[in-house]
Amino acid sequence: MNILTCEKVRKVYGSGENQVVALDGIDLTVGKGEFVAIVGASGSGKSTLLHILGSVDKPTSGTVMIDGTDLSRLNQTQAAIFRRRKVGLIYQFYNLIPTLTAKKNILMPLTLDKRKPNQEHFEKIVNTLGIADKLEALPSQLSGGQQQRVAIARSLIYRPALLLADEPTGNLDLKNSKEIMDMLKLSNRNLEQTIVLITHDEKVALEADCIITIEDGRIIQDEQRR
Amino acid sequence: MWKEYSSGYMKHNRTSGLSVIIAAFISALLLSLLCGAFYNLWKYEIERIELGEGGWQSRITGELNEEAIAAIKNHANVKDAIVTIKNHANGKDAAVGIKGDGDIEEVAAIKEYASAEEAAVRDEGEAETTVELYFKDMRKVFADTLQIAEAIGIPPEQVSYHYGLLAMYLIRSSQDPAPRLIFPLFLVITGIAVLSLIIIIHNSFAVSMNARLHQFGIFSSIGATPKQIRTCLLQEAAALCAVPVFAGNLFGVLISWGLINLTNVLLGTDVPGRHEAVFGYHPLVFGLTLLLTVITIWISAWLPARKLSRLTPLEAIKNTGELQLKRKKRSPALALLFGIEGELAGNALKAQRKALRTATLSLVSSFLAFTLMQCFFTLSGISTRETYFERYQNVWDIMITVRDAEVDAFGETGKFQKLPGADSVVVYQKAMAKRIVTEEELSKEMRSFGGFSHASGSNVTPTEGGWLVNAPVVILDDASFLAYCEQIGISPQLDGAVIRNQIRDVTNPDFRHPTLMPYVKGEAETSVLRQSGKEELTAEIPVLAYTEEVPVLREEYATLDYYEMVHFLPSSLWREIKGQVGGCGEELYIRILGAEGAALAELTALQEEAVQIVSPNYTVESENRIQEYETNEKQIQGMLAILGGFCVLLAVIGAGNVFSNTLGFVRQRKREVARYMSVGMTPAEIRKMFCIEALVLAGRPVFITLPVAVLAVWYMLKASYMEAGSFLAEAPFLPIAAFLLAIVGTVALAYYLGWRNVRKINLAEVLRDDTMM
Repeated sequence: MNILTCEKVRKVYGSGENQVVALDGIDLTVGKGEFVAIVGASGSGKSTLLHILGSVDKPTSGTVMIDGTDLSRLNQTQAAIFRRRKVGLIYQFYNLIPTLTAKKNILMPLTLDKRKPNQEHFEKIVNTLGIADKLEALPSQLSGGQQQRVAIARSLIYRPALLLADEPTGNLDLKNSKEIMDMLKLSNRNLEQTIVLITHDEKVALEADCIITIEDGRIIQDEQRR
Repeated sequence: MWKEYSSGYMKHNRTSGLSVIIAAFISALLLSLLCGAFYNLWKYEIERIELGEGGWQSRITGELNEEAIAAIKNHANVKDAIVTIKNHANGKDAAVGIKGDGDIEEVAAIKEYASAEEAAVRDEGEAETTVELYFKDMRKVFADTLQIAEAIGIPPEQVSYHYGLLAMYLIRSSQDPAPRLIFPLFLVITGIAVLSLIIIIHNSFAVSMNARLHQFGIFSSIGATPKQIRTCLLQEAAALCAVPVFAGNLFGVLISWGLINLTNVLLGTDVPGRHEAVFGYHPLVFGLTLLLTVITIWISAWLPARKLSRLTPLEAIKNTGELQLKRKKRSPALALLFGIEGELAGNALKAQRKALRTATLSLVSSFLAFTLMQCFFTLSGISTRETYFERYQNVWDIMITVRDAEVDAFGETGKFQKLPGADSVVVYQKAMAKRIVTEEELSKEMRSFGGFSHASGSNVTPTEGGWLVNAPVVILDDASFLAYCEQIGISPQLDGAVIRNQIRDVTNPDFRHPTLMPYVKGEAETSVLRQSGKEELTAEIPVLAYTEEVPVLREEYATLDYYEMVHFLPSSLWREIKGQVGGCGEELYIRILGAEGAALAELTALQEEAVQIVSPNYTVESENRIQEYETNEKQIQGMLAILGGFCVLLAVIGAGNVFSNTLGFVRQRKREVARYMSVGMTPAEIRKMFCIEALVLAGRPVFITLPVAVLAVWYMLKASYMEAGSFLAEAPFLPIAAFLLAIVGTVALAYYLGWRNVRKINLAEVLRDDTMM
């Protein structure tokens, strides 16, 4: 069963002479429980693709279906609700709310949806990520690795259909990078979490089941590893 | 390169520059207004002193001959000297001006005239000469006056100085104990204003500069020195502020001109002791104000520029200027009321606390001051109306005060009593005497609250025979006294006094609802009045009656000294006893009641006619009840308008700070909004968050003011023994609500404009920004 389907996705910035084609006819499917890595050089269009998949941006043409929702038809409010229910976004620079504690950051998508968290699930996530003792700290009081764990916990708390990670280890040292990747793999295997990871680091990409290579906005390679 | 960079930045970031421009304009305007207003207040105060007391700087008094006067004139620092010769024996005086820089012939001519005048004054006895001195260099007034006095053989104790006037030029002497704080107060207020403005504008500059911290980090990393960065920022500040500073200064002058004219209209110039304020503006004041504004703005720009230029490249690149909290904060009330949006709004406000400090302080204090001022003036207005205008509405229409006259020798009484349009005229004078009240005399009611046991030593002195109390004497013209006798139902006669036999229960402090009771039994047939200070001098007079009813006069009895015993006497009886009793005031009063329901025009005509009777021979002052009521109303409205204006100015400072925040923090708030959106917050929820922020900011003044105002009003009501219902019926709800609405509206507008800028967000673009940490 496919959780993500992209058909002829094209994204163009600017117009006339300044026109830049960021994505040029992307066709992509990701099945439930898959761990996909998208690799490519800087400017290849991988971040644009991730933003479109995360309903942060819209394609110029083509369709993107995630868990039965056509992203191109969503207005701003619908896109925001979609983000807090269906996709989890993890950024290189964590993107936590600086004025809220780690716990409140983690629970924020549920709070916005006026849903109560499942305590057992919450504890499982924070224990697995090793941040149970940091829940009352503000993001500025946490290290980079701890902030990224909080960001991951936030994206897992509402059991999204798809977890999108944009260079999640790009700002971390080797030890923290390895730990974060282990946690993503763990959530993929234990929780059957579908993950699309964007990276330019081949070592990181090798952890995924499938590696898709993008160049100049086109998929040039789709390598199934497992 | 820096010029190009700065001009490019300013061109493409007009919103960010706009907040600096607004802040600079408001600051320049306020400083200019303040300096303009203070200059005119200072000028007015000098004019007031000169009109009332003369413009002399020092004065030498004594028996001065021509040589002495010439010596004074010849002193190098004396500009003008006015010689006044007064003869105490015949009361005549003459004033002669001697111009210090006049030539010898001119002086001689003046002297000749002076001598003639002097001769006329001196011929009936010994004369005293006073020379009022005006100096070229006022700062040497103390040294030079003493030097002159010594040269002409006058001891220092016969030298006096116009301390009040000199203090206006900051010339002070250790001999003058009075604080004379007007000028220092102006300087202190200006200093406070400068400091406050530095805090506000500094914040605008900081917001604008911090928005580019990342860029300066990059510049620094490629070799820009702190000095270069600082210079660049200060150049930008100069370019942005030049026009608003000049424009603000001009507007400030214009508004201070308007303020002075408004003061004349609102406070009136026909009020005794007030003269028309004529607007003046010295170029030096403009120069000083401009300098003060430039210094204020330069410090404001220099502070953040210095801080920014000192950051290391790494710190600058890493810093996003985003709203951060150092410690975990909670906004339980907001979270409970508005959910997560409330909590986020509360935290955002806490994170901006420093930046919004001026806004919070200004808005809260302006609303608090405005509310308290409105409540105070309403209470005071009700009180004045109830205790003065309404109470004396049927008591007087016109009051004439005649100086240096005695009721028993006043020959114009008949003319007044025949005035057409006057229903009732009383000519009276007041004197202060003493009287002993014996234990036996006291009424049983008076004894019931302890007799004199509560009296203070200053009003009542225990003596062997009883208690020595104050006995104010009200001396009525004979005709009025006879009418008074008829009023109280006794046979009209002029050979005795009527005693006010009433005292309030002194244990009940409610002056609005006093418990009144008889003072004495009223059995004594005579009363012994004693001269105040020389109690052995007495005069025994028959008592015609003891009564609670007083003549219809604009007088209050026993308000300060509850134990005083008022005696009403006819002027013919006073003539006989005044030698023993004395203590007569220098002023004589004429109370006129016009026809019932007379309008202002009729009373004014009557007032003019009445004044004409006495003005040729006496110095008089006259009051008109309706005119006074209107003037009083006008003055209250004027005070309200002026004080309200300052509250509005304070609110403008606060609103300016809110605008500078909402318009200046766009980049940071865009990032904040992007974060919220990335985790699924909808635009409506973010808008709600902004609305809550605005609501809290505008609502804070109410939450702080409400309990303070309730407490203050409760206290004022208690102190004035006024009923809450009387206040509530006239409570200033409308102006307070209007002021609050203006604050809410302004804050809402600032947030709407800020939101309009923030909501135009390209989420993907903001999230792509590598400073999004």
